[in-house]
Amino acid sequence: MSPLAVRNLNKSFKALQVLKDVSLEVQDEERHVVIGPNGAGKTTLFNCIMGTIPLTSGEVLLDGRNVGTLPTHARVPLGMSRTFQKNNLFESLTVEENVHLAIEARKPYRFGLFKPLSWRADLLEESEELLRRWDLWGRRERKVRELSYGEQRLLEVLLALASKPRMLLLDEPTSGMSPAETAQTIGLIQELPRSLTLLVVEHDMEVVFAIADRITVLHHGEVFLSGPPEEVRGDERVREIYFGGGARHDA
Amino acid sequence: MRRLLGGVPWPGILILAVLVFALPVVLPPFGVSVATEIFILAIFAVSLGLIIGYAGLVSLGHAAFFGAGAYTVALLGERVANTYALLAAAVLIGGLLALFSGALFVRTSGAYFLMLTLAFAQVLFAVAFEARSVTGGGDGLSVAAVPNFGFGEVTGDYGLYYMMAAFFLGCYLLLRLFVASPAGKAVRGVMENESRMKALGFNTRSYKLLAYGLSGAIASLAGALYAYFNFFVTPDLLGWVFSGQALIMVIVGGAGSLLGPAIGAGFFLLMQEYLSSYTERWQLVMGLIFVAFVLVGRGGVFDLLALAFRKVIPRRIRREFGEDPSPPEPVTTQKEKAL
Ligand SMILES: Nc1ncnc2c1ncn2[C@@H]1O[C@H](COP(=O)(O)OP(=O)(O)OP(=O)(O)O)[C@@H](O)[C@H]1O
Ligand SMILES: [Mg+2]
Repeated sequence: MSPLAVRNLNKSFKALQVLKDVSLEVQDEERHVVIGPNGAGKTTLFNCIMGTIPLTSGEVLLDGRNVGTLPTHARVPLGMSRTFQKNNLFESLTVEENVHLAIEARKPYRFGLFKPLSWRADLLEESEELLRRWDLWGRRERKVRELSYGEQRLLEVLLALASKPRMLLLDEPTSGMSPAETAQTIGLIQELPRSLTLLVVEHDMEVVFAIADRITVLHHGEVFLSGPPEEVRGDERVREIYFGGGARHDA
Repeated sequence: MRRLLGGVPWPGILILAVLVFALPVVLPPFGVSVATEIFILAIFAVSLGLIIGYAGLVSLGHAAFFGAGAYTVALLGERVANTYALLAAAVLIGGLLALFSGALFVRTSGAYFLMLTLAFAQVLFAVAFEARSVTGGGDGLSVAAVPNFGFGEVTGDYGLYYMMAAFFLGCYLLLRLFVASPAGKAVRGVMENESRMKALGFNTRSYKLLAYGLSGAIASLAGALYAYFNFFVTPDLLGWVFSGQALIMVIVGGAGSLLGPAIGAGFFLLMQEYLSSYTERWQLVMGLIFVAFVLVGRGGVFDLLALAFRKVIPRRIRREFGEDPSPPEPVTTQKEKAL
């Protein structure tokens, strides 16, 4: 059974219909990339999948179960988490405090009232391991707003990973990064365990073809095409829409 | 070291405790009574500071809980003598009132939350004012209960001082633990970035409610203590003027820290004592001081002291003391280019 499926999803903001009957199936352990020009509705699709905004109609199936009406905080424990296109961090807290919160969310003591959070050995251990793996250990006592943009972008992914999802949604993980940071991020994404299913929105074609097992093209809120990378790369119409219209990147 | 302490400043708390318990030695008897009232209002201000500074909820009706606690002791105290039972009842009633009203209120934020809390407190005020047969209405109600923790009745200025001082320290310690706890950290996270907290899987509304309930319970405890201290309660304890004064204490003291609002409470009461002996318009003067605080010292007394330090003491002298907050301007790149 596919870990994530979207069925006939519609989303309107008042008169503006942004998603039109979108259906999408992500296979187990797949690395699925969604591409499409600016304003195609990619972020809106993520928002609907996670419950960040309510969908107008349709279903979001997680392991076959419709979670489309659950609040976000009830979807996360079922095994999904996301990053944001625009950094969405705890800016006035330290890097470490950010990670602690992300880990705490799935701990039974998240409502604990007396024992200080920093006395939880399990939490400290997990946090250290994550920070070391993502090269942010040396920066752990820095406030987030003191980090470079690229480091903040990494932390964005790290927080989502700290939820221990089976299904991870990344919204343009490399946007705004320098070429070196992009290369590092590609490496880190490729090193993620295969058991973690990925749904990624990405504009950078280098990144797209480096990680995609399957690509879905979204255009004006509709699924235009979905297939393996070679098929999408060779499709004339996709070139037309994506590279011709937006002209943001060359293939 | 910080890890060992769990983010709780234990040494600071110990020093504070010693200072608080030694204070009456140097104070005149009149001062002891003022200090006692300061401790009670400090508990109240700290409870309000908790939801403002750590949960981002600005209430203009916090007196509702203070008054509820005060009336609990005044009304139940006619039947029940046990101090523990009365205080527990006040905490319970304040906490439940906050949880039930908060369940509706925390769905809103900003000005809406402010207005709802104000309206809620005004409803309780109206009840206390109108239910003459029970509450004595505007004439108020005298308090029959006398505090007794099993070591004999607590009476006299000094007895009440130590009782209130102990409660203040206890509440402060409790809240210190709370803000370092998993739940307290999450409350802070919700204030910092609610959308991220949701994306991480936190039920953000329940954390706001938790903070609000805890704050209501502690405010109610402060009210109960006030009833023991003042021997008399009136509907004013539920009124918006008192809520507003608590807000001033928090803002003057600084909402970002736990102890700030307590200092604000002390400042407020001392100013009130001092100003009211000079002029009947002390509220006006207090208001102006408050405005000055909001305009100049965003972060309350602490920030203001730091600001004064920077403004009053010339930089040259500070540099000699090894402090140099503003390093010399770096040479601009344009000049370098010109060269
Ligand atoms: N909250 C909202 N209210 C109204 N319109 C919205 C809202 N969010 C998105 N839209 C509109 O929906 C359309 C799709 O936006 P979305 O952010 O999903 O695009 P995208 O594919 O992620 O684009 P980009 O590549 O620029 O990130 C846009 O026209 C946008 O203006
Ligand atoms: Mg987007």
